[in-house]
Amino acid sequence: MRTTSETLQVVVFALAGNEFGIDIVQVREIDRLMPITRVPRVPAHVEGIVNLRGQLVPIVDLRTRLGIPHTEPTKTARIIVAEIGPRSIGMIVDEVREVVRIPVDQIADSEGVLEGLANEFIGALGKVDERLIILLDVERVLGPEAPADLTDKGST
Amino acid sequence: MSEEPFDRAELIRYFKDESDELLQQLDADLLKLEPLAASSQADPEIVNSIFRSLHTIKGSAGMLELHDVSTFAHRLENVCDSVRNGRLPLSGNLIEILFEGRDLLTAFIRAGTEGAQAPPSAGFTERLEAVVQRHTRTGDEEAQHVAAERAGGSAGKVRPRTIRVDIARLDVLLDLVGELVITKNRIVQISTMLTRGETADPAGLIAELSTAAALLARTSADLQEAVMHARMVRIAGVFERFPRVVRDLAKSRGKEIELTIEGSETDLDKTIVDEIGEPLMHLVRNCVDHGIESPKRRRECGKEPAGKIELRAAHEGNSVVVQIGDDGSGVDLERVRERGLALGLIAAGAQHSERELLELLFVPGFSTARSVSELSGRGVGMDVVRRAIGRLSGTLEVASRPGLGTTFTIRLPLTLAILGALLVRIAGELYAIPLDAVSESLRLDAEQIERSESGDAVMHRDRLLPLIRGAEFFELGGVPDYSKGVLIVVLRAANREVGLIVDEFVGDQEIVVKPLSELVGPIAGIAGGTILGDGSIALILDPSVMISEVDRGPGSIVVSGTMHQR
Repeated sequence: MRTTSETLQVVVFALAGNEFGIDIVQVREIDRLMPITRVPRVPAHVEGIVNLRGQLVPIVDLRTRLGIPHTEPTKTARIIVAEIGPRSIGMIVDEVREVVRIPVDQIADSEGVLEGLANEFIGALGKVDERLIILLDVERVLGPEAPADLTDKGST
Repeated sequence: MSEEPFDRAELIRYFKDESDELLQQLDADLLKLEPLAASSQADPEIVNSIFRSLHTIKGSAGMLELHDVSTFAHRLENVCDSVRNGRLPLSGNLIEILFEGRDLLTAFIRAGTEGAQAPPSAGFTERLEAVVQRHTRTGDEEAQHVAAERAGGSAGKVRPRTIRVDIARLDVLLDLVGELVITKNRIVQISTMLTRGETADPAGLIAELSTAAALLARTSADLQEAVMHARMVRIAGVFERFPRVVRDLAKSRGKEIELTIEGSETDLDKTIVDEIGEPLMHLVRNCVDHGIESPKRRRECGKEPAGKIELRAAHEGNSVVVQIGDDGSGVDLERVRERGLALGLIAAGAQHSERELLELLFVPGFSTARSVSELSGRGVGMDVVRRAIGRLSGTLEVASRPGLGTTFTIRLPLTLAILGALLVRIAGELYAIPLDAVSESLRLDAEQIERSESGDAVMHRDRLLPLIRGAEFFELGGVPDYSKGVLIVVLRAANREVGLIVDEFVGDQEIVVKPLSELVGPIAGIAGGTILGDGSIALILDPSVMISEVDRGPGSIVVSGTMHQR
């Protein structure tokens, strides 16, 4: 439950020079990179799974998922573990910056604004001061529909 | 996670669990009542039990404000009350109506708890009133067929994820946790003393520490087993549906069938019990449809007009065996052979054992039913049943004797949570192979591999064993190094063997099975994952899927034991 309807608390992270945000209620934890066990026969954006205190959590390379060219993670790279219903999923991002409050009236529809990104995953755009933050629709990025493209393994 | 004390969703779940049990009880009672209909003498104890089930459902539904359910239950309860106090004599019609009412009640409960559409019940109410009135006046026994299409109840429902556990089992858990805490305290104490150097006898303390460690190992093993037991439920929950199902099926097929059930008290992992219902249902339908002959045909064969179906469960070592047997006509092997020829599954003139021919029944698309029956001919074949059982790490086999009957044997693990596994390395990653699917492991020279269009194979024990290269199968890449020989794990499932080429045997170990996230989706050939002692992850292979993929490969022949090259 969001406690206030006026602002949205968002975890801000960087990816290929853009700033993205995720609603903080969906974030379970943020971890440094850890060894990832590869899993065969999964879509290209699924890096593998990790052991998070006894739970097997899949890890997604958010760059690949959003159609941004993959680069080797640097020292600042982090795994943001998001919760979708009872399931957790981790996504690799370039850097985690901060948590900001975005006034709800500063959030606008994203339609047609972004080029070169997989637009279907963008929930909205938020403005904090003069920064533009792309709000990800986590459920669409990582949610149950995601496995639908399991079939296009050839596109790796 | 905190939850509100009166979470409605939770209450609804309990209600569903509870009413599931009561509805099964209703079925069982009605079936017991049915043979008494001829004498019009209802056994008051059975009627009371029916009354109690309905009354409880009514009460709970009322509390949850599911008014449709409580009103309907109340109506049925009134009828039972009339039977109970002798105002309404028992009759075949009445039983029929009560069965129908029970099904409608199920539909109402589903409507109330899952938001499904409320069933139309006006017609039923009319018939109910008619039977009640007519019988209360005249005791009429005229046969009236209530043609109700009774859906077996499989429409995409969400299963409640709750389990009822015997308090005694929980007490065992509590005791073990108590022991665990005591041992932990002892270890903490020893470690503090060692770090502070507060002891004159470090050697003695270390000895004590190793005693405590041994105790810890034993307690955690006991705990593991106790938790496993807490997850186990009786297979009765599944078996109890069948008297009703067989009765209805037999009626609609014009057959007479006696169903015997044995071993209802057999315990099995909750997950398996939840999932085994559908495959069992299919096999039982198969027995009713294709196994048992019509009463007329049976008399001609010198058999009792009523066919027998036996449903049996028993523990056998570390597994549970469930058998479904009939005394029907058995599988017509000649027709299986014809169909196998027609489908190009076997070669003309080739010799095949009975067992090999029976295996053909499990090939996708294979069906010998001359007329596709409305019951079994739903496009679900034996292959699907076998695969469903394979998903539970079980196996399905069939034995048949012409004229004497068919028996399906399902072998299931006691639990899906813990299993013995062989750890291997493929392309740098660890994989666990369930031991019950491993028949042996081999080390061969690279020259022994025979290459052909249909893939690599090796002669082993006078048979050609098809080979899967693990790294290739999972598209992991890497260049295999066979300079020190080829390591092969022989996988066995559903009477078929395949050799899996791995890079290294690591050893065998008990593993705790963890599901892979649904967010990654099901992966063909991977059954789950496990966490090893050092925190690293090994994926668990699903040999039955791997073998069936090999079967579907080009040029492979499905009959077990006779691998022909083309």
